[in-house]
This record gives sequence, C-alpha cells and structure tokens, in this order.
Amino acid sequence: MADATPTTATTGVPAEHKGGFPPFDTTTFPSQIFWLTVTFAFLFVVLWRVAGPRINGVITSRRGAINADIAAAQTARGEAEGAASAYQTALHAAKSRAQGLAEENRLTLNAEIAKAKAGADEEAANAMAAAHARIQTTQDQARGHVLKAAEEAAIAIVARLTGETVSSADAAAAVREL
Amino acid sequence: MAMHPMEQFEVAPAMGMEHPLFHLFGYPIYFTNQSLLMVIVVAAASLFLSLAVKPGRLVPNKTQSLAEVSYEFVANMIHSATGEEGLKFFPFVFTLFVFVLCCNFFGMVPGSFTVTSQIAVTFSLACLVILIVIGTGFAKHGIGFFKLFVPHAPWYLLILLIPIEVISFLTRPISLSVRLFANMLAGHTMLAVFAGFVILLGGAGGALSALSILPMALIVAIMLLELLVAFLQAYVFAILTCIYLNEALHLHDQH
Repeated sequence: MADATPTTATTGVPAEHKGGFPPFDTTTFPSQIFWLTVTFAFLFVVLWRVAGPRINGVITSRRGAINADIAAAQTARGEAEGAASAYQTALHAAKSRAQGLAEENRLTLNAEIAKAKAGADEEAANAMAAAHARIQTTQDQARGHVLKAAEEAAIAIVARLTGETVSSADAAAAVREL
Repeated sequence: MAMHPMEQFEVAPAMGMEHPLFHLFGYPIYFTNQSLLMVIVVAAASLFLSLAVKPGRLVPNKTQSLAEVSYEFVANMIHSATGEEGLKFFPFVFTLFVFVLCCNFFGMVPGSFTVTSQIAVTFSLACLVILIVIGTGFAKHGIGFFKLFVPHAPWYLLILLIPIEVISFLTRPISLSVRLFANMLAGHTMLAVFAGFVILLGGAGGALSALSILPMALIVAIMLLELLVAFLQAYVFAILTCIYLNEALHLHDQH
C-alpha cells in the first residue's frame, strides 16, 4: 500500500495534484487508459487464441471420452441383455420341450396301461366264460343223471306195482311229464 | 508517521520510470505502479490459464480444475443469461471477468495496487461493454434496436416508460463502473483507516498498545469480507455485461 510513497515524492507529475482525490486526478488518465488498453487487449488475445481453445479442447475431449465410454457401456449392456433374453428363450424352449416329452410319455404310458388292462379284462372274461360253460356242462350232466335215475326208478316202481314191464322210452316220457 | 488512507490510490510512475515513455496525442504516457500491477495481473492470468491445462489430461489436477472451473463458470453464466447466441461473446466476457477478478484479488496483497479502484479503468471497461452492446444491437436489429426503449405496455404508460428506459440505458456505463470502483475504493480505504488505528494505538504505548489488537482483528474480518467482495464484484460486472448483451440480442423477447 505504501510502495508508491517514495516514488510519489520524487516525481513531478502526480505530486502537483497531491492532496486531491487520487482516482479523480485526470493527469493520470492517459497513462491508465493506455496501459489498460494494452494489457486488456493482450489478455483478450491470449484467452481467445491460446487459453480458451486449450481449456475448451480438454473439456470437449473429456466429454467425448465420457460419452464414448457410456456408449460402450450401453452396447455391452445391450449385449448382456441380449444374452440374457437368449438364455431365457432357450430355457423356455427346453422347459416346454421337457413338458412335451413328459406329456408324450404320460400318454404312451396311459395307452399301454389301457391296453394291458383291456387284455387282462378280456382274459378274465374268457376265463369266466369258460367257467360258466363248465358249470353248465356239469349241471346238464347232473340233470341227465337225475333223469336216468328217475326213469330207472319209475320202471322199477311200475314193475313192482303192476308187474308190467315198461319200456325205457315210455318211462323217460312219463318222467319228463312230471 | 500518519498514513493517509487515500495514498494507496495514487497513480504514480513506477520506481525508475519517472520520465514519460512517449507522448500519445500530446499526453505523456508513464509506466506507473498501476501499469505494473496490470502487467503482473495479465501475465499471471495468461500464464496460469494457458499452462494449467494440458491437452489430453482428462483427469485434471488442482490447477487445471481451477482453470476449467473458471472457464465453465463464465460459459454457464453467458449461456444462462443470453442463450446459445451469446456464446460468441465468450472470449470478451471471459477476459473481462478474469481481468477484473485478478485485479481485485491482486489488489488485496498488502503493498500492491488495486487497479479496479480507479474510475478511469472501470469507466473505460464499462464504456467498452456498452459500445459492444450497442454495436451488437445495431448489427443484429438495425434501426429496430431502438425498440429496446419501448417495453410492452399500454401507450399512455409508454409516455412515462420510454424516457425512463432511455435514461436507464444511458446511465448504465456510470452505474456499472461506479459500482466496481466504489466497492473496491471503500473496502481498501476502510482497511487503510483501521491499519492507521493499529499504528496509532501501537505507538501510543502502555495499555493503549494492547488495545491495538482490536482494529487488527477488524482488519482480518474486513479482509475476509473484501475477498468475497472482490469475487462478487467481478461476477456482477460479468453478469451485467451478459444481461446487457442479452437485451441487445433479443430486445424484449425474453421478458
């Protein structure tokens, strides 16, 4: 702050106006405006031509790098999502194929079971029919034996009561009439 | 030794440069203490902003961040105040901001000189701004630039409003320059006055010497405030420039 003091004392120009309000000392204005013009113009050219483009270049290239990285990340994400959806599709396909196979298997088994059951049913029916036939035969035979016995008994009864001999055919007819 | 608080604002030829360098339009041009500070400020700002940034250094270090932040700060300021179109004024507004900011901050160094505490400097800068605003306005709108003085209002109000608009436009260089000048002048005067108190009390001896700690503490507090003012005034100067440019570019469309 006090740096200017010694020089002020030794110089003629500003010293003449000492005591006034320094910023309103018009004798200093030409020098002030001249040096302001020179320095301001210099700074303007430096910032416009050198510093500005340098700073702008760095900011732009950083933005570019960031954008490129984001784009790469998005591509990678897209690829990952594609792979994930491909996996899902494959999984679904495999699942549905497995379901198809299971269903097919079930149908085949059901058909086999039905076939086996049908075979068993038929066998059982055959066996039952044969059994029925055997029972019928046995019944018929038994009935034949009973008729024969009754015929002979009738002949014997008639012979004992009347002494007549009845032919077996008449006796059989009489038995049948009973 | 009584220090006059106004002494710090005296523009005097720098040591060893007591003779005029040359005459311009009959006026002697000296290399003064103020010229020295302007050269230092411009050299420091040019070197810093040019060399802090290394092309290809995508991850900035501290100095590069500072340069980038100041660049983007001004770019955003222009963009928000004037839109895309104002960005062609970026070099000018950036220079203005950096120049005023660095002059304010370098002026805070004890023993240096506050360039922006001179009305000649601030008024020249303000006139430059207004000339650029007027030039832009006429270049873009031709004679239609005068519509700037006609706000959207009923005709009977315009009788009142047009003179007000004209006066407010004409006083802009004064308000723009005096705001910066007076802020810097007042702050530095206050610092010098309190510094004078410190010297007076310290020299008084005895208990009074111990009291000199009070103005010293005040100096520290005002110094911090002045740092804020130094930035704020540079910002205000730049943002007002942007607002004036916006009006010249868009007239009253944006309101």
